[in-house]
Amino acid sequence: MPKPRVGIFGLTGCAGDQLVILNCEDELLDIVDLVDLRDFVMASSARDAECPLEVAFVEGAVVTEEDERRLRQVRERAATLVAIGTCAVWGGIPAMPGEAPRRELLRLVYGDVGEQYGDGEARAVKEVVKVDAEISGCPIEKEQFLKALAYLLNGDMPLLPSYPVCSECRIQENHCLLMGEGAFCCGPLTLAGCGARCPSLGVACIGCRGPAPDANVPSAVRLFASNGYGHDEIVSRLTTFAPVAAGRSA
Amino acid sequence: MSSKIVLVEHLARVEGHGGITVEMQGDVITDVQFNVLEGPRLLEALLHGKSYLQVAPILSRICAICSAAHTLTSLKATEAAFGVEVSPQTQRLRELLFRGESIESHALHVFLLALPDYFHRPSAPALAAEQPEAVKLGLRLKQLGNTIQELIGGRAIHPVNPVLGGMGHVPAVADLRALRDALERAQDELRGAIDLLAALPPDDFMEAETTYVAVEMRGEYAYYDAGDQLVVVSSNGRRRFSPAEYRLLTNEQSIAHSYAKHSTLDGEPFMVGALARLTVNRRRVSPAGTDAIARLGLVLPSSNPMDNNRAQAVELVMDLERARELIEQSLDDGVRPERPVPVEPRAGVGTAVTEAPRGLLVHSYEYDGDGHVVSADVITPTAMNAASVERHFRETVAQSAQKDTPTLTRKLELIARAYDPCISCSVHLVRR
Repeated sequence: MPKPRVGIFGLTGCAGDQLVILNCEDELLDIVDLVDLRDFVMASSARDAECPLEVAFVEGAVVTEEDERRLRQVRERAATLVAIGTCAVWGGIPAMPGEAPRRELLRLVYGDVGEQYGDGEARAVKEVVKVDAEISGCPIEKEQFLKALAYLLNGDMPLLPSYPVCSECRIQENHCLLMGEGAFCCGPLTLAGCGARCPSLGVACIGCRGPAPDANVPSAVRLFASNGYGHDEIVSRLTTFAPVAAGRSA
Repeated sequence: MSSKIVLVEHLARVEGHGGITVEMQGDVITDVQFNVLEGPRLLEALLHGKSYLQVAPILSRICAICSAAHTLTSLKATEAAFGVEVSPQTQRLRELLFRGESIESHALHVFLLALPDYFHRPSAPALAAEQPEAVKLGLRLKQLGNTIQELIGGRAIHPVNPVLGGMGHVPAVADLRALRDALERAQDELRGAIDLLAALPPDDFMEAETTYVAVEMRGEYAYYDAGDQLVVVSSNGRRRFSPAEYRLLTNEQSIAHSYAKHSTLDGEPFMVGALARLTVNRRRVSPAGTDAIARLGLVLPSSNPMDNNRAQAVELVMDLERARELIEQSLDDGVRPERPVPVEPRAGVGTAVTEAPRGLLVHSYEYDGDGHVVSADVITPTAMNAASVERHFRETVAQSAQKDTPTLTRKLELIARAYDPCISCSVHLVRR
């Protein structure tokens, strides 16, 4: 059987998810053996920009017209498109709500030149094209990427946890920062997979992996309020990484 | 008639989306542009009104490869605004994290992104067949940098353990000891690899007098902790000014062909990064660094931007040395469990200037009395370098005898890559 053709692409973002792939130092040369890596500009100047792909990984939010054009092209080429990272999955930090519309901010930062930069809005990949699988995280966890790749190479869709960080935190028997310290800990709302990295270090979860599907949002918001956080603060914190999940209107 | 030709649509083996365009008058190239095509995220403007607690995690996301530098510089600026003094142990751990990122970043650039060019290979995996040891060493050094970032930063990218006032968790003594031993082994391995780098084919196809800017510190090489002054080295000698005057360097101009604005000093482009740091801090380079400079045949000040690749290799030697030194100091002094010092927001301005892997980095914020952001400035190395890259592009075209497109394209790509641009970073700018 020929090796599956794979492409790895970055739209607007920090390149953190592509860097996680390059950070698979122990596995990188094996991965290159197992797949036919056709298009990964961050790592190679030899690229086939036209060929059909069995799997495309896409990082970043869709901000510019060029992002959208490139994304549509990747979608046409790819049998399976996997959104990687919180920006691709939920819009992420680039889509974070601010105090003024993006168009106004563009003018403020670039002056008249800003006029030619479009509306500046950031969208999640699934708001533009169909997405077949998602690996969330800011950045994604190396182990989740490798596991997802193994699933895909075996013809399956990746199956990753859908429970919240809170569950992983309990397994590690960490002291609860939300109930015990009155901290703004997003563990009950955030998708697991990081092994509760932050609370395990005594640092509150900031929700960088995006929402867990079965989180009890009203209950967590009541807890934040009872810990003394005001409405605006709660909204601002909960829309930092996953504005698309929050419906953008919150 | 003048026409624009896209020479490189998407520059490979660098972070982010950038390209190269040339302007032609008939057959003659009249201008070369470095196009920053990464979309604007407007993070500084979006921070307005947000809580001081959100600032470092949000600005870390400017760029993954420099995320520890952004996080630590951000914390330093906010701590300066609120008059917070962190413990000596925190200072040391943060500097160790800074070195870890530099090791990862320089190893990635030198061995995996730049080295393939010298062997006419498209990528590190393609180079692995011919130079397996160099590629594997690059991966091992990069992994060591990441191990430091995992242990001290809590994550290799977008560190979570450094927080306002200190560190969330202090690493265990056994982990620090293991790290020290790994650093010692890496120092031995890198010593051999310097000879390989020294034997690379020459890349001296372009020469230009260059102005360098870097932080100078009393007694030490330019690291994270307390930059005393900014120093400019040019053919007119050395010039010093205080970090608070950083805006002298950021006479930023909006450019139609780029989402990154251009910085100049007195109207002249300047270069920041490893080569600038070595040039400014030549007398503070350690003996091992001096030995590497000699073996690589690096002459300072240099008039060849390609020397930035060699300068990163020299810094890799010094970063390993410094990281080991920091761990040994910590072990000698005893590692104590410690909670971050309490942070009370107050109205004020805080500015921090550090040396990120790619060069000078400035974070400056103004807060109101409740700790909400009034304004935020971030000035990144790649933004500062953008005008200099273009200047070196033009010189390359002017000095090339062969002006056919493949030859020129290759040279321009090499120049751009030698700067190790971080294009995501470059899109972050000062408000007008």
